[in-house]
Amino acid sequence: MKSKRRGLYATVAAWVALGILGLLFDGWLLSQMAIYFCYGMFAMGLSLIWGQAGILSFGQAIFFGAGAYGFALVTLNKIPGLGVSVAMGFVVAIVLATALAAVIASLTFAARGLSGAHFAIVTLCAAVVVETATTRSDYLGGYNGLFGIPPLSWNGTMIGDHALYYLMLSITLLAFLSVVAIIRSPYGTLLEAIRDNEHRVRHLGYVPHHLKSAAFILAGALSGLAGALFAAQFGFVSPSLLGFALSTQVLVWVAVGGRAVPMAAMLGALVVPGAENMLSNVLGDVWLLVIGVLFVAVVVAARGGVFGNLLRLPLPQRLRE
Amino acid sequence: MEFVLDTLNYFSVLMLVVLGLVVIFGLMNVINMAHGEFILIGAYTVVAVTSAGGSFWLALVIGSLVAGLAGLLVELLVVRHIYTRFIDTILATWGVSLVLKQTVIVIFGPTGQSVQNPLPGVMNVFGVEYPRMRILIIGMAFGLTVVLYLALFSSRLGLKLRAVIANRDMASTLGLNTRRMDMASFSLGAGLAGFAGALMSPMISVDPQLGVGFLIPSFLSILLGGLNSLLGPILGVGAISGSTNLIAGWLSQADTQVIVFLLAILVIRLFPEGILKRRQK
Repeated sequence: MKSKRRGLYATVAAWVALGILGLLFDGWLLSQMAIYFCYGMFAMGLSLIWGQAGILSFGQAIFFGAGAYGFALVTLNKIPGLGVSVAMGFVVAIVLATALAAVIASLTFAARGLSGAHFAIVTLCAAVVVETATTRSDYLGGYNGLFGIPPLSWNGTMIGDHALYYLMLSITLLAFLSVVAIIRSPYGTLLEAIRDNEHRVRHLGYVPHHLKSAAFILAGALSGLAGALFAAQFGFVSPSLLGFALSTQVLVWVAVGGRAVPMAAMLGALVVPGAENMLSNVLGDVWLLVIGVLFVAVVVAARGGVFGNLLRLPLPQRLRE
Repeated sequence: MEFVLDTLNYFSVLMLVVLGLVVIFGLMNVINMAHGEFILIGAYTVVAVTSAGGSFWLALVIGSLVAGLAGLLVELLVVRHIYTRFIDTILATWGVSLVLKQTVIVIFGPTGQSVQNPLPGVMNVFGVEYPRMRILIIGMAFGLTVVLYLALFSSRLGLKLRAVIANRDMASTLGLNTRRMDMASFSLGAGLAGFAGALMSPMISVDPQLGVGFLIPSFLSILLGGLNSLLGPILGVGAISGSTNLIAGWLSQADTQVIVFLLAILVIRLFPEGILKRRQK
């Protein structure tokens, strides 16, 4: 019994540690850490579809980037009639990402659907297409992207470093609790069943492509929110946010962290790029090499990833013997 | 005429890359995302050998061998553990591609390098002045394709390979060493990619992102053509290279890429045969 609870204690301890970190640092480092929470949320979205439902997407950055661009377009007043409010920015970001996810889901999952390999390669192509198309659009700023997105403020004053860190921590915690609630619900169990054997789920009277589409759209919405928060803090969006590179990086973070456990996936997204950023150029290249080797090792031998087994929550009550 | 030659040139380069992928996928059912990095290995070997004073032609041979050896290592260390887990092979070979690319960056640095053209000048083909090196690439690609297909259909080794492709378990029961065939085909596929990379290195800027650029068109070619017949991939390569050059006639390169990829996705969505059909067997 005690060992089953270990994951719960470890998860709570990890959140407490993230809370304490906010007290230890300040200035530039703290604002960097706040930005990484966006990657954390993005990673949890991928964990939901990949770790739980077994949908391997090579194009998740499409939705992250759509959120970032959506937020940027509104706050820079490039969409007439919507005003420049931050709230409207978040609404547009999430709606845009959700709509794109719905379109891709309806094109790929419907009818007999695409197999895993086809889906992976088609999403990969889609990410390249979206990235290239964005660089060709003057409205979206082309190669240079969009500059000067106003920072988040409250009653006219800019939110300070510490307040921003804890704001991001709270939003990420909420996202984490939502993802965990989905995974532990009966719907989450169905997603797991689809991952293990889609054919049997179909024969039990469910429609797998509806269930998969719903998960894909939820992950898209979460990625959109993460992208909008990223744009708000970074102040600048560029085509690389919705392309091939970020799509594949997030796969690596999530796999190394632990794909089936949202908390592990999130920590992967904090640690891997965080360390890369801290290290110097030469060491950074070596670090990427190390991460590449670790990624291969995790895929071949240890599906749980580095943090997965430690942070795995106990089964929901209804599934216990 | 120049349009035909340009199309043939792209077709040839893509064909060389796809041949290696087809060998690996056909035999082992492994989608090799690291294929582009074997191209990279071939090209960078040429950079290393020629800057050490070796001739381009020597470098061409060494480049193919080094890539083939790297392929053998990848097969032994990674692929053989997971070739029954289809989706994981995509991920693991993607990881391998990151590792190989990063190794190249650590050794050679992230910037582009150039290789001196061993066959400068132009020659007259059907009334068009065309670079001699490109003619050589076209000739080599066609020659290699013919050799490979002859080897597959009229040699003992080819017979064994086709037996394993048709029914792996049965071939193994009949005494064929499928493990050795896997190793051989993976390093052959990697070697072909290395050869492609080495051969085209004088015509391009050799930089670490080179492999990724070939990955998507070559996979699209395979998915488009399907692998049910050996002609499929050739048709796929023809469709991708033909439409790319056709559209590039009046649009920019970036727009062309967007349109070709979208068309390919559409066709794959409407006719998801190829890989699917083999998988469902």
